[in-house]
Amino acid sequence: MSGRDALTTWVLRFYVVLVFGFIFMPIVASVIFSFNSQRFPTVPLGSFTTEWYTAILNDPDIWEAARTSILVSLSTSVLATFIGFCTAYTDYRFKFRYKYGFLALALLPPTIPLIIMALAMLAWFAKIGISGQVWSIIAAHTVLTIPFAMAIIRLRLNEMDESLEAAAWNLGASEWRAVKEVIIPFAKPAIISSMCLTAAVSFDEFAVAWFVSGLNKTIPVVILEIVTGNIDPQVNAIGSFVFLVSMTLVVLAQILFMTKGKRRTVTP
Amino acid sequence: MSKKENRGRSQQPSRRQVLKYSAAAALATPFISRAWANTVEINMLAWYGHGEPDMVGAFEEANNVKFKPKYYAGGDNMLGLIAQSPPGTYDIILSDGEFVQQLNAAGYIEPLDAGDYPFDDMLYEDFTKFPGHWDGDTLYSMMLRFGHLGVSYNKNAISEEEAMSYSCFWKPEIKGKVGHFDWHLPSLGMMSLYNGNGAGLWDLDDAKWEKVQETTLSLRPQVGGFFDYGGTFNSLKNGEMQAMVGIGDWITGVLEKDGAPVASVVPKEGGIQWTESYCIGKGTEKADIVKKFIQYMLSPEGQVKSAQMAAYPGFCITKGGRALLNEVDPKEAKRTGQVDGMANDPITLIKEGRIHYRDIPVQQSLEDWNDFWSEYKNA
Amino acid sequence: MGTKETEKKKRGFETFAVVWRVPLIAWQTVFFLGPLLFMVAMSFFVVKNYRMREAFEFVSWAKMLGRHTFWDAYGYTLLLAVCSTVIVSLIAFPAAYALAFKTSATVRRWAIFLLVVPFFTSYLVRIFSWYVVLAESGPVNSVLGFFGLGPFTMLNTMFGTMVGYATLTLPLVVILQTVSLANIDNRFIEAAHNLGCGAFRTIHAVIVPMAKTGLVIAALFCFILSFGDFVSPYYLGGSKPPTLAILIIDTTKSGQQWPRAAVVAVMMMLTLFTVAFSSIWYAYRKRGSR
Repeated sequence: MSGRDALTTWVLRFYVVLVFGFIFMPIVASVIFSFNSQRFPTVPLGSFTTEWYTAILNDPDIWEAARTSILVSLSTSVLATFIGFCTAYTDYRFKFRYKYGFLALALLPPTIPLIIMALAMLAWFAKIGISGQVWSIIAAHTVLTIPFAMAIIRLRLNEMDESLEAAAWNLGASEWRAVKEVIIPFAKPAIISSMCLTAAVSFDEFAVAWFVSGLNKTIPVVILEIVTGNIDPQVNAIGSFVFLVSMTLVVLAQILFMTKGKRRTVTP
Repeated sequence: MSKKENRGRSQQPSRRQVLKYSAAAALATPFISRAWANTVEINMLAWYGHGEPDMVGAFEEANNVKFKPKYYAGGDNMLGLIAQSPPGTYDIILSDGEFVQQLNAAGYIEPLDAGDYPFDDMLYEDFTKFPGHWDGDTLYSMMLRFGHLGVSYNKNAISEEEAMSYSCFWKPEIKGKVGHFDWHLPSLGMMSLYNGNGAGLWDLDDAKWEKVQETTLSLRPQVGGFFDYGGTFNSLKNGEMQAMVGIGDWITGVLEKDGAPVASVVPKEGGIQWTESYCIGKGTEKADIVKKFIQYMLSPEGQVKSAQMAAYPGFCITKGGRALLNEVDPKEAKRTGQVDGMANDPITLIKEGRIHYRDIPVQQSLEDWNDFWSEYKNA
Repeated sequence: MGTKETEKKKRGFETFAVVWRVPLIAWQTVFFLGPLLFMVAMSFFVVKNYRMREAFEFVSWAKMLGRHTFWDAYGYTLLLAVCSTVIVSLIAFPAAYALAFKTSATVRRWAIFLLVVPFFTSYLVRIFSWYVVLAESGPVNSVLGFFGLGPFTMLNTMFGTMVGYATLTLPLVVILQTVSLANIDNRFIEAAHNLGCGAFRTIHAVIVPMAKTGLVIAALFCFILSFGDFVSPYYLGGSKPPTLAILIIDTTKSGQQWPRAAVVAVMMMLTLFTVAFSSIWYAYRKRGSR
């Protein structure tokens, strides 16, 4: 490597650090603000306080919202991963007419802005009489997260040796049995990742939840209400707290994932 | 739990045990207290802050109820939210005074019994027969609090004399620093006042309405942004905006307490009054406890809570409320002029004819105003 | 499907095959197609006195499309989304390039892990932070002031909106670009170097064409997210002027005008579909010749 190349490399690396700095600036800042005494943080900062954390921990509405959020994201992750798995497997195994239409049905939701999904879903749910319930949020979030589940599991199935399933049939296993004994174990890491990711996406989704939730608020809806309502550093405290919780889950999932399936780790 | 603790092997619970139990207790408290007895849940539709602990906490505790609030901003928003929910969703609705009529016309609210409320203790006789709150002899909504809208400004950018006229919004030095609270009614009302429409500010014929639009559009180059509630707070506080159209002390009062150099005045062209009133939602099964809550909010204690509300302050409407406020928080009473005989006593301002109740447009529809508002934002 | 199966097995396979399709079709029909089609229908409904009535009239279409307000917002939203796509893609590319070619696999894995982190923090909270950080009295201006610059007005400007869009899209775009660049076989790059290509020539002639699909998909996601986001233009851009997403919210808030909001939504969807299909077509074009 010549000197100029080394210089370029270092410049590029520095650039990467800058980009990461930009990405992490708001996250770090929000953690700092969450310990800052001022209600409307400005520079210079006020004094250190845990007041906002005390406030949220003592607020039953926040606990209620946390419970709703957990219920919603867990249900969503199970449903979306199940449907995503079925879809990924269909795509992997079968060729049929209208397959493109079928796949479009699965992959289209992310191309539609959340605000539009929110509007359409609220109107529709009100029409068929299921608006404002916890499970209307679950139904909506499942639609939004199926594509992620499907993509993760589909990528994993790509890596599978096609002859494995055929071998199972040749050994006399039924199709169902082959799925159970061969496909699911192979896809298991992807299934776990998919559950984590879909849960996380659901946990942070606010636009659709805001529209369809009615009185059953999730954590992001509470955050939105505080941001649009009375600005309050509780937002930062909630944000930091939620971040801590979800990162713990992700890291746990990652560790489980690594120790179980040592063969292949995360992308790429 | 106590049983378990007594059965502990050693007499003295180990430090670890204590920590463990207290942590478990701390985590479980919110659930236990909720599951404890059958708490009645009251669904509330209100402006931000009315369902927060500082307002309803004491009442919740005393009556074993729990408020579930849904917040809106602006009367149009409120009507939309009710229309989208099944009938009977909201037990109690905090409405802007001028929207009560619409609520009633749409059949969203129950009639009230006037005998339940302290009408003999009102600070001002208008409040006993507030426009739109009565249909004939039937009361439909109980006024709770009010406040005044005028010029809200940063003291470092605008002097108090300048703030005494809406013309200060056009001051060249604050170009790009004038914000709007993102709701057509108060902002356009102020423009109408600036045009000299006085008491007829909502009753505009075509020519006057044309003129109001013209005036408003001429302000557009000054405008730095359109803000919701939170944005309004923040942008005044951090100095991004030096003046704000469409608000009053309900925003700047909170900021002042936080030490920001901002204030609100009622300018010489006149100010606008916002009024908040409680209604009981049609079809609720909790009318009794809701009635009790409204009575509580009109008691001196409730009125003081409203005057000190963390989200935004509102003036007391009863003599009893004002008296108690002067007793427990004379500083806030003085800051807001709620002391008998003070020059800027809000009641005096109303009596002098400087204040006009916020209303909906008389000759145009709300839609027309709203359409113009989105055009204005786009201009 | 394999070719060796017997007739009987094939018939068995059909039931088996169909069962796997049912969950998606059922769910998406009820909760995805249903709402979208209903929204299209809703754009023809009428509203009187805050009440929506089912009908088939073109009043909302005529009203929205006949107003310059709508078209101004449309043009502005398109402009913002295009700017965001171009800027974010350009900002991301050197970083993705460095991660793909100038770092070890371990570092890259960690980098991608870190890039996933923002997805676990609330987007709203991050925007709220920027609100403080970019304020005239905020830290950025304090630092600039130290060098005798500023203060700059960053909030309630297009710059603010762009910062918001980048907050939303940059991590995703860097991930997608990195993955697609990392998939390029290093031998092609070496070959280009051996043929005397400079770094920029290599990027231009080898890397970008080979990673085209991934780069276009990354840009497409950036466009879609920016086009539909209402948080950044509202909170950091001061909704001055409003974008289509803000227009939707404004319209639903006032006077129960859902049909008009539906008109805006349908127009947005048509635009997005057009952009999405043409860019996917572009991304996969010529792929067969490889």
